[in-house]
Amino acid sequence: MPRVVKSTIIDAPTDQVWAVLRDFNGHDRWHPEVAVSHIERSQSADRIGCVRRFKLADGSELREQLLALSDLEQSFSYCLLDTPIPLFNYVAHVRLLPVTDGDRTFWHWESRFTTRPGDEKRLAEMVGEQIYQAGFEAIRKHLSEAQ
Amino acid sequence: MARVFVSSVINGRSDRVWARVRDFNGLPNWHPAIAESRIEGGEPADKIGCVRDFRLRNGDRIREKLLGLSDYDMFCTYSILESPMGVENYVATLRLTPVTDGERTFVEWTAEFDCSPEREAELVASIGGGVFQGGFDALKRAFGG
Repeated sequence: MPRVVKSTIIDAPTDQVWAVLRDFNGHDRWHPEVAVSHIERSQSADRIGCVRRFKLADGSELREQLLALSDLEQSFSYCLLDTPIPLFNYVAHVRLLPVTDGDRTFWHWESRFTTRPGDEKRLAEMVGEQIYQAGFEAIRKHLSEAQ
Repeated sequence: MARVFVSSVINGRSDRVWARVRDFNGLPNWHPAIAESRIEGGEPADKIGCVRDFRLRNGDRIREKLLGLSDYDMFCTYSILESPMGVENYVATLRLTPVTDGERTFVEWTAEFDCSPEREAELVASIGGGVFQGGFDALKRAFGG
């Protein structure tokens, strides 16, 4: 089962990063791959079990469900329900930890999934680079523009 | 129960930082506050349950017991058996996590303990700001920032 792990340091306090990340319906405001996001059935974006529907920059759509969200731990987990690419059993975890030395943020983003034999490496790279690493860069830009 | 949480970023790959800190008998090699250390009973320093007896540069003597050590998750957990600090039920963990974005390491050092209420603030400051952050500062110097 492929596992993707990416982590970075953001030069901002965790509360500031968490304020952006905790909105399960807010990825269209900062992630370059996400064009439109909305929560199905008009549910609140911090209700566990809610489903977000993304329209990606290339026009394809995917649905993801919020599995866990913690303001105390500054973490959340979600899974993919429907996707145009062959990612199955995809569950991802995001968590923030304070870097007390300099009041910065350690951001850890990881997932596991299954896929067709032969596609593991390509998809793990795609998720790690285009989704996670690109997300890190996008948040950095988003936070610096907000200041 | 008092809690201490201190974390930093070391400019080196986590396996290299881990190689420097995993030796339970190796504090004098990297922590500036520790003068000398030995493991009681001639036991190996990575045997769970072994006890280190070390002396600080200020002369204080502390005995600590290794409760957990993982080369896979890169953490080390230990408790204080004897110290002049006036703490009870003291358990601490030093943990390393790779930062994939640049070859860096996120380091966390946490402790929980009981003490008299009027000494809590002073102990949290001296353990967190002194011992833990002092160790991180030494690691940052050793790995060039």
